[in-house]
Amino acid sequence: MSDTITMKEKNIQQVSAAQKTMQILVKFFTYAFLILMALIVLFPFYWMIISSLKTLAEYRLNVPTFFPQQIMFSNYAEAFTTASLGQLFYNTMIVGVVSTLLSLVITVLSAFAFARLEFKGRDTMFGLLLATMMIPGELFTITNYATVTQLGWMNTYRVLIIPFLVSVFYIYLLRQNFMQIPNELYLAAKVDGTSDLKYLWKVMVPLSLPTLISITILKMMGSWNSYIWPRLVANDEAHRMITNGLRNAFTETSGDVNYPVQMAAVALVSAPLFLVFVFLRKYIMAGVSRSGIKG
Amino acid sequence: MKVVLQNLTKIFPSRDKKAGKEVVAVNDFNFEIPDGKLIGLLGPSGCGKSTTLYMISGLQKPTSGKIFFGDDDVTELSTENRGIGLVFQNYALYPHMTVQQNILFPLQNLKGADKLSKEEMQERAYNAAKLVQIEELMDRKPSELSGGQQQRVAIARALVKMPRVLLLDEPLSNLDARLRLQTREEIRRIQKETGITTVFVTHDQEEAMSISDMIVVMKLGVLQQIGKPQDVYDDPANLFVAKFLGTPPINVLEGKIQGGKVYIGQEAVLEVSGAEDQDVVIGIRPEGFELAETGALHCNLVNVEVMGRDVSIVSHHPASQNASIRSIINADHKTSVGGQIVRYDLKPHKVFLFNKETEERIRCEVK
Amino acid sequence: MVDSKQQWKAWLYLAPAIVLLLVFTVWPIINTVRMSLLENYSGLQATAGAQFQFGLGNFLKVVRYRQFTQCLKNTCILCFLTVPISTILALLIAVALNSIKFLQKGLQTIFFLPYVTNSIAIGMVFAAMFNIVGSFYGTENELIVTAGIINNVIEFFGGTHINWINYGSSYAANIFVMVVYIVWNALPFKILVLLGGLQGINKQYYEAAKVDGTPRRRVFTKITVPLLSPMLAYVVITGFIGGFKEYTSIVGIFGETMGPPDAAKRLNTMVGFIYDSLSSNSQGRASAAALILFAIILVVTLINNQVSKKRVHY
Repeated sequence: MSDTITMKEKNIQQVSAAQKTMQILVKFFTYAFLILMALIVLFPFYWMIISSLKTLAEYRLNVPTFFPQQIMFSNYAEAFTTASLGQLFYNTMIVGVVSTLLSLVITVLSAFAFARLEFKGRDTMFGLLLATMMIPGELFTITNYATVTQLGWMNTYRVLIIPFLVSVFYIYLLRQNFMQIPNELYLAAKVDGTSDLKYLWKVMVPLSLPTLISITILKMMGSWNSYIWPRLVANDEAHRMITNGLRNAFTETSGDVNYPVQMAAVALVSAPLFLVFVFLRKYIMAGVSRSGIKG
Repeated sequence: MKVVLQNLTKIFPSRDKKAGKEVVAVNDFNFEIPDGKLIGLLGPSGCGKSTTLYMISGLQKPTSGKIFFGDDDVTELSTENRGIGLVFQNYALYPHMTVQQNILFPLQNLKGADKLSKEEMQERAYNAAKLVQIEELMDRKPSELSGGQQQRVAIARALVKMPRVLLLDEPLSNLDARLRLQTREEIRRIQKETGITTVFVTHDQEEAMSISDMIVVMKLGVLQQIGKPQDVYDDPANLFVAKFLGTPPINVLEGKIQGGKVYIGQEAVLEVSGAEDQDVVIGIRPEGFELAETGALHCNLVNVEVMGRDVSIVSHHPASQNASIRSIINADHKTSVGGQIVRYDLKPHKVFLFNKETEERIRCEVK
Repeated sequence: MVDSKQQWKAWLYLAPAIVLLLVFTVWPIINTVRMSLLENYSGLQATAGAQFQFGLGNFLKVVRYRQFTQCLKNTCILCFLTVPISTILALLIAVALNSIKFLQKGLQTIFFLPYVTNSIAIGMVFAAMFNIVGSFYGTENELIVTAGIINNVIEFFGGTHINWINYGSSYAANIFVMVVYIVWNALPFKILVLLGGLQGINKQYYEAAKVDGTPRRRVFTKITVPLLSPMLAYVVITGFIGGFKEYTSIVGIFGETMGPPDAAKRLNTMVGFIYDSLSSNSQGRASAAALILFAIILVVTLINNQVSKKRVHY
């Protein structure tokens, strides 16, 4: 193996020049591809915003305009009243906030029990819980619909909050986080006579704050985006949720659709999500990459 | 293939933009690696030895300076066209491929005139595997191999395309002590058999001294000394090199040259010619001491450690920069050490004098 | 050390979760199986005191039902089109993103944007983009006023406009729109996971490949894809599970009619079928359909796991 590759009689300058050109070309196509894809991804948002600011006449022009000739903020006011977004926002916020808070309490307590306490059947029980994650939610809906009807919960806030308070996935996520906190901390707290709840609140919760924030955001987004269940059980004016209300307000099957107003309504519904995203991107991305579940 | 580094410099921009201080990893480096030799690049961590290796490989571009392989200027040439083999510190074996697939991988990249037939590839891979004695393990995955075996696979993968230069980055650092001894012999053997110019990086002076044809000592990006291991050991260019080579390390004492004599404290220990009177730092190798009833150097005895072949005497001296002075005396002498004071004569060729400010060697004749 | 105090404490902490799970998860599982096995079970009739025979009739009926087979077909078509397309596209984008430094963070954020959207709301935007706007909307006599931005673009490049989702649109056109929308919606999650995977691959593998002069394409197929295979498998499995539960994105574009005005329910899916059965008070049929959906998801997951075992390097 002592013979070595002999350099071919290539002009080294030429070789490196060709390589440089190749590298620049690859870079160029990489950026071109990414920017093109980014534009495609962004286009619906752009179209939503400019359409929401156009007059109906401009929207219906044969040749589309890419910036509104006359900016119509009034579309937003109209959207707000047409879809009674105020009531919808209010309903959704109540359901979202209450269910998130309760859900966090239940999740923290359960995750603590699974992570730190020893009791008979703990692992079996945890395994069973994880197994339920396999089952599609639609399977539960059929019976739950009957259950809430029997309980007389139809068209209440309760029906939107209680059935989905327990998320096995959140318990799993938080338990994994709790397990990483050394058990010695718990034992030390016991020696000092700290109660479980105080320990939970003072040590475990602060140490797993990022996970808790992720859970909060996902749960809030879930309320904001939920559609099927609310439509089934709470489709009255007083309790209707935002997504359902939006779809209901714009389902003309005939006549002239006022698209600019519709787009304004869509923009208003989307805005809170974007704001949350802008400020809490890190937590959303961290939670999402582990879940694969939307909302 | 000889490798020549000419005014090689690598400057990393500082990470902290506000501080604005750039890091000079390698500073104006010049040396020539003769064809077919095994070279150890040696220095403490952060001395720029790995950066130098990566610049030879082409994975990093020098800020200035040139690199030649033979007579070809390869400075602008990208890695794949340099014809090098590189063994990474963590081996970087592809975890999803078997040993054989790992070794075949570089061959399958060859294009055009260099393209090999399936049989040729198999044969080359087998020969490379045989050279490093892993031909039995061809169907295993890297995760099923021990550290030493992974190391061999990495070397085989680097050798299989018959590189002009073989580069090894800390090849022994991930192995346990026993394997390290065995593997360094192995690297020596493989290098001898293939005759490929080989450069390896290490922070372990013993490792470098034991197998290299030449060692290159570096400190903070600056070349300190190049030479055969024994020559560098026997004739260090400065205090850093003297301190860095040798176990146990050299003893460093403060002293002065006055009137043709070397003084440690008030004791004139050696005669010197060709040097001006000045304060100096004196380095004495542990084996440079001789027990003598009338010895000039008086030290306070602390402890005698028996090591079988040798005896190691630990003592104190007020002029010592180290916590204690350690000497190694041949056990044949049967010299009994008693009392509180131990007296030494010094072997002149094991004593080096350094300038107190610059720490450079003072070239003079010591008797 | 299992002391009895810890025992009851643990159950106390778990109590809220257990009670809720028993009522809203465990009971529904049992009840769904029960209802699916009672012939023609209907909640309304059950409260009126009707008795139902035990049998497999619900399953047989569901499978023979033309509506159901249409739903199954739609679901499968959407699944088998969107999962590969979105996975490959996401892989290309993730690899491209991973190879650049400048603008990487910004582009990554843009690619994640579709995730934080309401799929019904943005579905309405897509519908507007594909819609032909005219008078007499939703009838045969619809007059085109403007063909919609997508058709405008097609016409700009010299094509003729296509009736995507309006009255009289073709099934293929409807599916195309759905595929575009679902892929657009599915990209962010996949890019996020794949990019995370790519960033976790040790850089030395690429340096080693570079030393060996490995061509770009070979680095991609022989190193990147195999080392990314666990993430790819994950993305494909979750993609299929989500795909079989597709429903709201169709509502977003077509509304509750689940199809163009002249062909309502044409794009209905498995989940849609379950809700339709539920609103017509045929709980037996709904349960059977839900169990079939569960079985399909289970089988797909098992097949995926089986393939992964052979192909995926962990």
